[in-house]
Amino acid sequence: ETINATVVAGHPPVFRWVRLVPEVFIPSVNKQLEGTEYTFNWDEQYGGSLAKVGDETEAVEEGLAELGVISSVFDPAKLSLQNVSYYTPFVSSDPDIVVETIDKLHDDNPKMLETWLENNLQYLGAPSGIDDYLLMTTFPVNSMEDLEGKKIGAPGPAVNWLEGTGAVGVSGNLTTYYNEIKTGVYDGVIVFATAALPGKLYEVAPYITKVGFGAQYAGSLAANKEWFDSQPEVVQQALLKAGDDFKAAYLADLNKAMVASLKAMEEQGATITEVDDAFRKQWADGMDNVAQTWAAQVDSEGKAGTEILKAYMDAVRAAGGAPVRNWDQE
Amino acid sequence: MTSFEIGLATLGAMMVLVYAGLWVPIALMLCSYVGVWMIKGSPLLAGKLLALAASETISSYFFGVVPLFVLMGFLVSVTGLGRDAYDVANQLFRRVKGGLGVSTVAANAIFAAITGISIASAAVFTRIAVPEMVRHGYTGKFSVGVVAGSSVLGMLIPPSLLLILYGLLTEQSVGDLFLAGVLPGILLAIVFAGGVISMAYFWPSFIGENLSEDTEHDMGSAEMAKKGLPILALILLVLGGIYAGVFTPIEAGAVGCLGAIIIGLFRRTLTLPNFWEVLTDTGLVTASVCFLIIAAQMYSRMLALSGVPHEFGVFVATADIGFWGVIIAYVALLVVMGTILDSSSIMLIMVPLMLPVIQPLGVDLVWFGIVTVIAVEIGLLTPPFGISVFVIKSTLDDDSISLGEIFRGAAPFALMMVVVLLAVLVYPPLTTALIQ
Amino acid sequence: MTMETTPEPSGSGTAAKIRRAADGISNTLNVIGTIMILGLVILVNADVIGRNAFLAPISGVPEIVSMSIVAIVFLQVSQAFRMGRFTRTDALLDAVARRSKRARNAMEFIYVIAAFVLIWLLFSASVPLFDKSWQRQSYVGTVGDFTFPDWPVKLVILIGCAALLMQLAISGAVALWGIFHPAEDDGAGQ
Ligand code: NA
Ligand code: NA
Repeated sequence: ETINATVVAGHPPVFRWVRLVPEVFIPSVNKQLEGTEYTFNWDEQYGGSLAKVGDETEAVEEGLAELGVISSVFDPAKLSLQNVSYYTPFVSSDPDIVVETIDKLHDDNPKMLETWLENNLQYLGAPSGIDDYLLMTTFPVNSMEDLEGKKIGAPGPAVNWLEGTGAVGVSGNLTTYYNEIKTGVYDGVIVFATAALPGKLYEVAPYITKVGFGAQYAGSLAANKEWFDSQPEVVQQALLKAGDDFKAAYLADLNKAMVASLKAMEEQGATITEVDDAFRKQWADGMDNVAQTWAAQVDSEGKAGTEILKAYMDAVRAAGGAPVRNWDQE
Repeated sequence: MTSFEIGLATLGAMMVLVYAGLWVPIALMLCSYVGVWMIKGSPLLAGKLLALAASETISSYFFGVVPLFVLMGFLVSVTGLGRDAYDVANQLFRRVKGGLGVSTVAANAIFAAITGISIASAAVFTRIAVPEMVRHGYTGKFSVGVVAGSSVLGMLIPPSLLLILYGLLTEQSVGDLFLAGVLPGILLAIVFAGGVISMAYFWPSFIGENLSEDTEHDMGSAEMAKKGLPILALILLVLGGIYAGVFTPIEAGAVGCLGAIIIGLFRRTLTLPNFWEVLTDTGLVTASVCFLIIAAQMYSRMLALSGVPHEFGVFVATADIGFWGVIIAYVALLVVMGTILDSSSIMLIMVPLMLPVIQPLGVDLVWFGIVTVIAVEIGLLTPPFGISVFVIKSTLDDDSISLGEIFRGAAPFALMMVVVLLAVLVYPPLTTALIQ
Repeated sequence: MTMETTPEPSGSGTAAKIRRAADGISNTLNVIGTIMILGLVILVNADVIGRNAFLAPISGVPEIVSMSIVAIVFLQVSQAFRMGRFTRTDALLDAVARRSKRARNAMEFIYVIAAFVLIWLLFSASVPLFDKSWQRQSYVGTVGDFTFPDWPVKLVILIGCAALLMQLAISGAVALWGIFHPAEDDGAGQ
């Protein structure tokens, strides 16, 4: 029996979270189903051919695609709880800890699965994580005063991280960072190493500061719920197991690439510095408690914002993460 | 019928419907709806695809600035800035046979440096250049053709929204892509100008038998400066602002509008009635073009589901036709797709599909990006779906020039684009020379 | 003939009144959309000036621009159709019209029906999308920085489609009239 499945991703396969679908997820499903009566007929729609970034949720929800690489970071209203890490910066710079913690929260707390279900999605546990966000600037950053009046481009949720620093957060887009820094629209950006290298950002913003914003959880593969439920047990298990395989491969690949990217940028002339604990604490303490704001907003939508915030922070602490600021305990 | 056959069949159906006179966006929607229904076996899903494409396609910062660039163009036109700039260009090229045509190309190349989209160039120069050329004995067909042709410079000479989109799809530096577009853009402008002059000598039946020289506008250098300065100020404002880091190329449309409004008020050529008129016109052009782009995106999503582009990718990847075989097949497919789809839809389908095929061949992705953009932009000029031609038709206050005539007028320029495309293919330094 | 607008209504019959009312609706939507374009010019400039002169960019500009463009297009779409801005190739239609006005009108009637059906499908498939974002109060932007509900845009899509359906119905009526009264001017329909 042949199962037709369309996989949708708004990002093109140059991005790891898409690339590993054909490289790991699909082969894993195929392999597990060898010897059963089921085979998949995959239709891969990446790079916006069927849905743009942020629109994958609706494409899968409505059944235009059976599976999708869902970017929760670009769907912060629908997948609110999944965005907890973006509202809790300075918690852990280790992608393994952040990604594993949030994946495990899905197992332990049914409310995490509920946000997927509300969107008619079956979570497959194939998470896309982002390596530690860095500050890349045209000027060296030694103290908070250096940031005064500087314009820093940042992805939507990270604009909050600049609050209280004296720097001006400008909501920006990875694609145009290079140009914007080069001409001087931005004096720097908040970006992760594995994207900064291919974007050649080190050429225009050679001062890389490890502030400790932290690694992030950005989404996961998910399936259309009705379609998933209609599949035989063996197929469902194969999809879930392939999600685990994806996660393992993803984290291994990400960690390797993160180290390699930093090394490559340094070799190309970038200066990498890590701020000391006092600086980091000063930065984190200077922020409003954006996590509480977020949790209150999510609570008001009838979802478990405060509960998940606490569960996430507890889990990170239990896993050996050392939050600079305990957002949940204020 | 297999999905593949359905996809191919809708290509044929699309052609027939458009030539039969059905509105182009409706023809695209009809083919997508029926196509998805047949592929997925569900009219419900087909409807959902239409609805999702309608709400998602243009919902982006990039498309959001389309009306601003169009408005800037119309303001340049209604305040007389464009006409003056055009007069200056005429003065410079008046000794040349076909000089007005050359002026149109030159003015377009300059305007390209401040606009990120070709639609704006097409709209502006339809207003400014076409009436002048017709008055001086150029055929209507040629007059609109040269405007359509040179409008493509808008997306090749930076800033360019298409190059930004390509940068996103391939993780290439947009800065490098912009630099890479400069020389091919200038080369294309030179080839266009040379083509116009050649046509004036060797193909007068096409360009116009009795081209009159523009004598009534004979200007001294003082008058030239007076006429040239305002547009120069606007260009300096926009280009200067972009390169001094005051605003982004995306924001440039809005700043250009403000600049044109201020200059227009200063010159007392901008009045409340004509301002409201260009605003309304901007809305109508934006709506008709964006509605077309939405419909093209529906069609493109249906085509992606049919697997036609994918089959081609597999064919190219496995056919063992070598480097040039792959590149030529790819370029040919882009040009063919350009006949029925809009530029951004083609890139969204084809670039991610081809990247895994291209990368192992060691291709320079910046060069590949310029090749892609030129090939895709040829589609702006080819029937039945040619956005530049549609914009001209929609901006033109002259029913005597039919859509077919505009396409015929633009055809020589599409051919010249092929020539430049070949030049970029065989001589990659054209794209890479300016990058470090 | 591609760009010819549908003829202006004249006379005082019921049909003419309906037509005037419909055109009034399209005009109004058109004006709202036009004002939104002006709003975009002001917004983006204010952001640029705020960022550079006062180190105070306006939050949410990319989100507002993204939503506005969809609203602008759907607010203007019925007017664009009425003003003949929907692109079409006229060669065959003109050739047919030269031989028989009646056949030309019959073709037009069929095309209008096709367009009506498709826009109706688009409208009805868009209703659940509006409903969903209304029910869930979904928004764009980031909590703590800028958020805005997305249902207004989904509603504008519905309004735009409805207005376009209205204009298509009028074109259909005009074409139908033309089938039975081919000798008379297109301006009939009252
Ligand atoms: Na340009
Ligand atoms: Na075309």
